Amino acid sequence: MKVKLRFFARFGELLGNSLCIEGREGMSVAGLVREAAAGNKAGYDAIFDETGAFRNFVIVMRNKKRIRSQDADLIYISEGDEIAVFPPVAGG
Amino acid sequence: MMLFGDEGQELLKDATIFIAGAGGLGSPVAVYLAVLGVGTIILADNDTVERTNLNRQILHGERDIGRRKSVSAGDRLEALNPDITVKAIDATIDATTVHSLTDTADGIVDALDNYPTRYLLNRIAIEKDIPLFHGGISGFFGQATTIIPGETPCLRCIFPHPPPREVFPVAGVTAGFIGMVQATEVCKYLLCKGELLANRLLLWDGMQARVEEIAIEKDPSCEDCAGRAPPEH
Ligand SMILES: [Zn+2]
Repeated sequence: MKVKLRFFARFGELLGNSLCIEGREGMSVAGLVREAAAGNKAGYDAIFDETGAFRNFVIVMRNKKRIRSQDADLIYISEGDEIAVFPPVAGG
Repeated sequence: MMLFGDEGQELLKDATIFIAGAGGLGSPVAVYLAVLGVGTIILADNDTVERTNLNRQILHGERDIGRRKSVSAGDRLEALNPDITVKAIDATIDATTVHSLTDTADGIVDALDNYPTRYLLNRIAIEKDIPLFHGGISGFFGQATTIIPGETPCLRCIFPHPPPREVFPVAGVTAGFIGMVQATEVCKYLLCKGELLANRLLLWDGMQARVEEIAIEKDPSCEDCAGRAPPEH
């Protein structure tokens, strides 16, 4: 199934802004993002901690609606989903 | 001025806005609120102007290098509009100063560069029941939202955990873009016009030239705003 994955700000610079991914049945939102980021260590480490969990400041959206990043392993992707992942920016 | 009418101009003149920081965001926000005619602008910064600031901090110029940002900002704003009152204060915004700095404010502009101080302003805005105009920038990326206590999620609802401190330089144009969103919000709020950037987080990616917005919701277990009664209007 086709899923759109979007990274914003620093995450986009490291991993690409918009990816079209062939998702698998039973794949979670977190699983999808982990797989997409796996090839880029700096990108992966910016998003996930050493246990593979989303860093606590990371914001995860599914179809324009925010999901709790700690639930992202239990939420499964479906055809046509748009997943967005971004960091708040801190400068001023 | 024709756009707002005499009545609108009076509303702006009677208003007091606190701008937290005279750096990248604080510069364009302060400049435009001054020329808009916001009657009293209180600006706090504890820093000194450095050459590396000048790519974005348009309140300060070459000859201000080495001066306190508060002094430089005060001079610039008074030159832009001598008819308003500018209180540019050399102070660190912390738990001991935040009450007196915001005492008379009708709204707070977040022009800070760190989340711990932003959370402090968020709590004060909730306590005083005044809006917090949030902005954040990094490189060519920016975000903004308008927080109305009781009506919208608070800053802590949106960002329960702070991101790491920003090490990325900011592009001056990004500060200008997000600062203009914030200043526009202040203007609309004071004039009670239009629709505020409330319950929405605006994201700007200058490199892709895209503006996105995402819906944001109150966190029922938010440590800063949960359990507070909605304000009576
Ligand atoms: Zn809250």
